[in-house]
Amino acid sequence: MSDGRPESDDKPWTDPDAVPFLQVKNLTKRFGAFTAVDSVSLDVYKGEIFCLLGGSGCGKSTLLRLLSGFEEATAGQIIIDGQDQEGVPPYARETNMMFQSYALFPHMSVEKNIAYGLKRDGLPKAEIATRVTDMLSLVQMDGFATRKPHQLSGGQKQRVALARSLIKKPKLLLLDEPLGALDKKLREETQFELITIQESLGVTFVVVTHDQEEAMTLSSRIGVMNAGQIVQVGTPHEIYEYPQSRFVADFIGSVNLFEGRITADHEDHVIISSPESGTDIFVPHGISGVEGQQVALAVRPEKLQISKSPLENLRNTMKGTIEEIAYMGNESVFQVLLDSGKQVRISQSNRMRTTDHTLTWDDQVYIGWNDDASVVLSS
Amino acid sequence: MKSRSRLLQMVGLLGFIFLYAPILSLVIYSFNESKLVTVWGGFSTRWYGELFRDPQILGAAWISVKIAFLSASIAIVIGTLASFVLIRFARFRAKSLLSMLITAPLVMPEVIIGLSLLLLFVAMEGVIGWPGGRGLVTIIIAHSTFGAAYAAVVIQSRLVDMDLSIEEAAQDLGAKPVRVFFDITLPVIAPALVSAWLLAFTLSLDDLVIASFVSGPGASTLPMVIFSKVRLGVSPDVNALATIIIGLVSLGVIVAALQMNRSKRQSEQR
Ligand SMILES: Nc1ncnc2c1ncn2[C@@H]1O[C@H](COP(=O)(O)OP(=O)(O)OP(=O)(O)O)[C@@H](O)[C@H]1O
Ligand SMILES: [Mg+2]
Repeated sequence: MSDGRPESDDKPWTDPDAVPFLQVKNLTKRFGAFTAVDSVSLDVYKGEIFCLLGGSGCGKSTLLRLLSGFEEATAGQIIIDGQDQEGVPPYARETNMMFQSYALFPHMSVEKNIAYGLKRDGLPKAEIATRVTDMLSLVQMDGFATRKPHQLSGGQKQRVALARSLIKKPKLLLLDEPLGALDKKLREETQFELITIQESLGVTFVVVTHDQEEAMTLSSRIGVMNAGQIVQVGTPHEIYEYPQSRFVADFIGSVNLFEGRITADHEDHVIISSPESGTDIFVPHGISGVEGQQVALAVRPEKLQISKSPLENLRNTMKGTIEEIAYMGNESVFQVLLDSGKQVRISQSNRMRTTDHTLTWDDQVYIGWNDDASVVLSS
Repeated sequence: MKSRSRLLQMVGLLGFIFLYAPILSLVIYSFNESKLVTVWGGFSTRWYGELFRDPQILGAAWISVKIAFLSASIAIVIGTLASFVLIRFARFRAKSLLSMLITAPLVMPEVIIGLSLLLLFVAMEGVIGWPGGRGLVTIIIAHSTFGAAYAAVVIQSRLVDMDLSIEEAAQDLGAKPVRVFFDITLPVIAPALVSAWLLAFTLSLDDLVIASFVSGPGASTLPMVIFSKVRLGVSPDVNALATIIIGLVSLGVIVAALQMNRSKRQSEQR
């Protein structure tokens, strides 16, 4: 669960002067009384792989369809490379889309599928042929040019769909769950291939996914969606380490949430009284909240420590009993029932020497975390 | 259990005999040497020979094929357009009403269709002067209308199954809607078009009632000629003719069914 992408030398979104390649402004789409996309605003910069991440039915596909022109916005604006897309039909937009269902033309060979976009542009035959050949080798489908889609496996179809959407070198490539139908191993391989392809062609990607690990591996930035709205935009690292709401913290990875109330609000620290956890929790930095405010404290399972002896060097500790242990190979996950009645999850890497391998069911344990391991969520 | 399946087989067999015995006897008697239809006089293909020397029969057959060919072609064009509008553009409420309207000829008695078309043609001739009299043209129009109803049913079922996203993919790659229709939609529904055409063709070839209503002098279709011949007494050459028609019609039906099956299998594989 790390930021698998090499830190790019520039982060255009941190540069206030950079002009976004794709600007979405207060975009809204209603189907009757139902709002599928709710006042979404987004900036995506050239060369990014931007992931839209969210649960099923949260409006990801609808947002992509708005960008590609298949749906008409109820309100708002889409600007691609400085051009307002209002009223521009799909066939005239400089975007290409890879469909959730691949949508290969069943009556055309692989070759013809890939060449279709170039043919519509009226390119000379010879150029089409060379570009198709190049594209086939880019997606490693050289031997399959004359096959029909129904003679391909799911992974091969996916490559053809990708090739077909890339061949016109679109300014903006929209991918709707591009790897959804692949098994885990193939999916991981293809994720890295996608990154390589994206870097070699310099195309800007907007990728829809509901798989948070995929978003983490692929993207330069992630936009987390919920109920038609974008709730947070940030790099995978920011989203994971500094979620801004309970929804994001809970959606990305697993998390322990301690509900509580701010009882002391100082410049340099805050005390949160949390009856749920049975103690007062110390947070070593000021927050933009008021005394008495209801907040939640989020701590990732891997940031929690567990031990049979009291954790005296930590300020935030609690006592409990081990209820469950799950051995996952590289890590072990403990479920601990605190004396206050709350359940927490703790994961420990099995390679670390600090990990206590003698812990077992029904052991009385202490858990705790470093001061800086928690995030306060007010929404 | 076993005796029950035996019983089922028996019932099935009886059903088939009931359906096909008359046809079989007709086929057998078409090879009868004797001029008397009910007396077996030995095997011969004599009546087939006579048939091909009979100018009335040959002329009527040619007319029937022409009508069937043209009306089937018109029917699939109308049927395609109608199904396309129904499936892709109609609103929900209008949809069920429209699809009911277009399939009405399937359940309407042929006599009523024939009569109403006849009245329409007569009225049209009075008002706009076209079609001038009844004949080939009016039969083709009549057959196109009910052929289109059958064609629409066949084509609709294919269109409903069709994945809309492949049309969108074509648009996304730069094809305008009309282009998409010819490049993508048409080839994908082609098997349905073939079976719809074959269906409309055989229906037109078969039709007696509607054709009798709307035809005029000099435009007697094959079924009309057979019918008038039979009224004067069954002659063996009619048996031969009927055998040929049965052969053609079954061929058409089988090819249409195979086509539908193949396209279904292909779409399942996707
Ligand atoms: N044409 C439509 N008419 C009415 N409602 C629609 C239409 N298209 C989508 N919706 C609704 O909009 C919501 C968002 O749909 P969308 O397809 O964007 O979800 P999604 O985030 O892509 O989900 P998934 O991960 O399952 O693909 C859904 O509740 C869906 O029912
Ligand atoms: Mg979707």
